[in-house]
Amino acid sequence: MLEELSNIRKVLPTVKSLRNLTPLARREARLGMLFLSPWIFGFLAFTLIPMLATLFFSFLDLKITDGILSAPDFVGLDNYKRLLQDPQVWSTGTTPGSLWVTIKFGLFALPIGIFLPLGIAVLMNNKHLKGQMFFRSLFYMPYIVPFVAAVFIWGGMLNPESGWINRTLIALGMSKESVPTWANDVNWVYPTYVIMGIWGIGNAMLIMLAGLQGVPTELYDAAKVDGANGWQTFWKVTFPMISPVIFYNLVLSIVGLFQYFLVPLVVNQGTGRPGGATYFYNLYLYRTFFTFQDMSYGSTLAWFLFAVILVVTIILFGTAKYWVYYAGESRS
Amino acid sequence: MKKLLYVLSLLIVASMVLAACGGGAPATQPPAATEPAATEPAATEPAATEDPAATEEPGATEAPAATPTLTPYPVAECEGGKVCIRWFVGLGTGTDAPQIETQEEVVADFNASQDRIQLILEIVPFNSARDVLSTQIASGAGPDIVGPVGWGGSNDFFGQWLDLTPYIESSGFDTSIFDPALVKFYQTEEGQVGLPFAVFPGAMYYVPALFDEAGLNYPPQVYGEKYVMPDGTERDWNWETITELARILTVDVNGNDATMPEFDPTQIVQVGYVPQWQSIQSIGTFYGGAAPIYSGDAKGSYEATIPNSWKEGFQWYYDGMWGDQPFIANGPLAGSPEFLAGNVFNSGKAAMGLTQTWYTCCLGEFRDAGNEFQLAIQPIGANGEVSGRVDADTFRIWKGTPNPNEAFEVLSYLITTGADKLLPVYGAMPAVPEKTQAFFDQKSQDYPFVTEESWNVFVQGLAYPDTPSSEQYHPNSIKANQRYATFLDLMNNTPDLDFEAEFQKLVDDLNTIYNE
Repeated sequence: MLEELSNIRKVLPTVKSLRNLTPLARREARLGMLFLSPWIFGFLAFTLIPMLATLFFSFLDLKITDGILSAPDFVGLDNYKRLLQDPQVWSTGTTPGSLWVTIKFGLFALPIGIFLPLGIAVLMNNKHLKGQMFFRSLFYMPYIVPFVAAVFIWGGMLNPESGWINRTLIALGMSKESVPTWANDVNWVYPTYVIMGIWGIGNAMLIMLAGLQGVPTELYDAAKVDGANGWQTFWKVTFPMISPVIFYNLVLSIVGLFQYFLVPLVVNQGTGRPGGATYFYNLYLYRTFFTFQDMSYGSTLAWFLFAVILVVTIILFGTAKYWVYYAGESRS
Repeated sequence: MKKLLYVLSLLIVASMVLAACGGGAPATQPPAATEPAATEPAATEPAATEDPAATEEPGATEAPAATPTLTPYPVAECEGGKVCIRWFVGLGTGTDAPQIETQEEVVADFNASQDRIQLILEIVPFNSARDVLSTQIASGAGPDIVGPVGWGGSNDFFGQWLDLTPYIESSGFDTSIFDPALVKFYQTEEGQVGLPFAVFPGAMYYVPALFDEAGLNYPPQVYGEKYVMPDGTERDWNWETITELARILTVDVNGNDATMPEFDPTQIVQVGYVPQWQSIQSIGTFYGGAAPIYSGDAKGSYEATIPNSWKEGFQWYYDGMWGDQPFIANGPLAGSPEFLAGNVFNSGKAAMGLTQTWYTCCLGEFRDAGNEFQLAIQPIGANGEVSGRVDADTFRIWKGTPNPNEAFEVLSYLITTGADKLLPVYGAMPAVPEKTQAFFDQKSQDYPFVTEESWNVFVQGLAYPDTPSSEQYHPNSIKANQRYATFLDLMNNTPDLDFEAEFQKLVDDLNTIYNE
């Protein structure tokens, strides 16, 4: 990682090198900047400035419901203090906080979200599999369906009263009392969400598959010569060689899980039912900011989420040197 | 050549910047001609999988989410020598293209009718109207008149409305043209903040065919009448009677009704009753009567005061869904496609549905399937009196107006003379009983099977408004309303709810929210 950064530094122009540019190169640099300017403008106007604005808001008492009618006060770190004591964020007694809800679901969903696409990709990569292209298309196809549409469809299929899944279970002999109520049952709601999520693993599977296909075949030949069995070959050859791909998927999955929002909003209307189990942090943030129009506290929640994701990502990158293998790079 | 390239590059960059900043819609996008009137809850009709929608009420004044125009409305200049009165439209209905046209006509009519006041129309898209009005008021440049707006929209600006009492008295405005109950309806702690204009009284919609099938008599259509049971005994039209009927009218897949021992509550194909798109406050009001829901006058002293009769109503509603003899569609059932994802009465699989006039918007599937409905009176509540509800839109005057007398003159015009043109385009029922016939004539074209007696139920319902409204102001209202909605959602979807504990949690949370 550090090596990559130092390589980037090497290609970036220094002030001194810019001064030494020929008039032609300087003109080219100017034109380059000109062509970059729409993106730079967009980044400033729609990302950086709003981000800084929310940071500023987090030190105010800005609430649209009453704030616009009177100028907001500067409240220092009050919003951050409120966050540290907020029962909606931290669990109290039997009521789960939204941060714990998010982490708990993540602990459940993350392994499935990583290893299932990996497993399917390994199967897809098997040279003995007939109709590889067909199966790859089949597994990838659901990813093409817009996720919101898929969630609606799943919501209908898993409806405890009229969904065909429960009707099938009842037709197979299960009693009405024993079939799951899916998103309405505190014990079933996370599996329900994971089932809906599995629908969209096609992309992760494809990335894993690309990683698997990039493993040099001579390594497998060498392993075979050394007498390694299938399991050993996977763990000693395949896994290290595709570890950067797994790492990439892991980072994206963790960031995505901290921002988990759409499914609980659509399926459970963002109410947190059953029993607060679906009141995810990002949902709380959204409701605070947009529904309750508490801009300052919403901004505070957003920055806290940003900090949490940043810390987790840094920790992940810290662990990478122990298990992520970049071929051709020295480990320092 | 180089210069030409440079100029071309500049032009390309400029076009890219414009494209990046311009957004998806052209700046001159014409008004959406298909935008439904705000009084048509189709605009707020819950999405297909929103199962709690069975009890969500599309507010009478909620305008559609679609922004009708991206071009700023051209506001007229104030002419010298006249008092200029600004009429702000956007918090509720009134932003649809045909509505704008009619409102412009009304403005022209008023301006032509006298030469002292110039009425100026300001149309702001619904999505931004709240923010625009907030900013205008904050800067001391608020409009003189705001509306049409319902309770929900006006509660967001609680404390900003003028008490009309002195202007009613000084101008000699005849309030006797309205039902006194409706005039009282607009008396809040801010004073007489409005006068009746567009109203949406409640009624019990029922399906005669399902009553016939069950061998039951139809519900009463005149307030004061009793219900006649099949054995000839007369009963008050109250919740006890409705519960009894609704159980008989709730049928499982085998044709058993909810009173039969062999009834299978897990295979319901028809329900007896649905509070169609009603909020939980509305359910409480219908069951227990209108009541203030908070006390206190400053942060720190606010307290939730949900009446016991409402609590009983909530418990009754819950048992109606999840009890041994259910007769109300629970969340998953109401959210299923068979029950039209929340529009339960429209599915034709509910025998009775308590809702307001605006629900006549949303019965297309019901009618097209060959079903017919009629209207019955609202029931007697737990307090022994008719616990009716009236949703309503009207105009408000901003209390910071520099010209309150002239603003009241305009308001008087809008709710009387102007109403003749405005109400049809708003799709609303007139608050003045003499003017209701045109409204019902229009409705009769949509539903030719509905009898005169049925339409008359709405007129009678004007005498039973909920005062204070179930949409009344309470502190931190958006968050508090959300908390109420969460409790309703919990009841709709939780079979083994610890009702007492959850109700207490609701009260505790409201106490916290009110004082935040």
